[in-house]
Amino acid sequence: MASTRNPTSVKIAPGAVVCDESEIFGDVTIATRTVVHPKAKIIAEAGPIIIGENNIIEELTQIVNRTTEKGGNQTVMIIGNNNVFEVGSYVESLKIGDHNVVEAKAHVGRQVELTSGCIIGAACSITSSEVMQENTVIYGADCSRRVQREKPPAQALQIDFLTKILPNYHYLKKPSKAATPQRT
Amino acid sequence: MELEDVMYNNSEYIETASGNKVSRLSVLCGSQNIVINGKTIIMTDCVIRGDLANVRIGRHCVISKKAVIRPPFKKFSKGVAFFPLHIGDHVLIGEDSIVNAAQIGSFVHIGKHCIIGRRCVLKDCCAIADYTVLPPETVVPPFTLFSGSPGRATGELPECTQDLMVDVTMSYYQSFKPVGKSK
Repeated sequence: MASTRNPTSVKIAPGAVVCDESEIFGDVTIATRTVVHPKAKIIAEAGPIIIGENNIIEELTQIVNRTTEKGGNQTVMIIGNNNVFEVGSYVESLKIGDHNVVEAKAHVGRQVELTSGCIIGAACSITSSEVMQENTVIYGADCSRRVQREKPPAQALQIDFLTKILPNYHYLKKPSKAATPQRT
Repeated sequence: MELEDVMYNNSEYIETASGNKVSRLSVLCGSQNIVINGKTIIMTDCVIRGDLANVRIGRHCVISKKAVIRPPFKKFSKGVAFFPLHIGDHVLIGEDSIVNAAQIGSFVHIGKHCIIGRRCVLKDCCAIADYTVLPPETVVPPFTLFSGSPGRATGELPECTQDLMVDVTMSYYQSFKPVGKSK
């Protein structure tokens, strides 16, 4: 991994809180107001990873854009806004929409597409090839599923709190000057 | 029963005056908010999040490899707060477990690869089996065994649980021996 390390290609927008103890390799873009806890791992191996706004990425989470055996084409991994990746989750999914929650130790495979409002329950593993219907909830020991009526609530308050408190205790990765895209 | 000796590399651990053994490769965030009362072992790759709220760990606890101790989070009508996390004495936490509890009593055994959900309360003398997932706000009463996903009460523990846990944590501490030179 060390050979592919290229810290200059990590783009962090102003307003994002990315702890220095997190490991970020390759071409990763992190939008504003996203919080990355220490010891999270974001590895862009097969192509860039683009992470949207207001996401929380907790410790020991692994977000990996993995090279497949076939290799060849570059793949782009896109993560939308307002998602929460809890402690120890493992995500390879190439397309994640908005308002999803991946709970502790959940595993989301590469062929899965999370649309929006999906909850992958604690310790559940999804490696099929499918597009999750909106607001799907996956839960329990057998990974049973159902569709809930409403989206999981946004974590704006938690993000506010974390952006206040994390800089007091951790060194942060500096936002890159090049990346200041202003939404119009 | 005598436990087999567990050898560790002396340069890997720091032993404090009160007998705590803390791995240099563990991650203690906000260490000024973490209180460890003595004779507790914290192994390699553990994460303890003292930056979010205070964490207090009692005496003779064992926190195994890759465990995550993380104060729970609660949303109120105005603002949010992380609650302080208290862990009692003689508590064993297995490998790769995630503890988001609000409170853990004394003489508690948490197995390997468990997830203890947000704001769970584990009373004294209870046990959590390996691979258990406790949903948020679960209360585990004394002398019960919880297992499964979601965790349910599946058994009872004997009255001597307290003595058993004291025994096992004390002998674990004694059999946790250094090899090699210290730094």
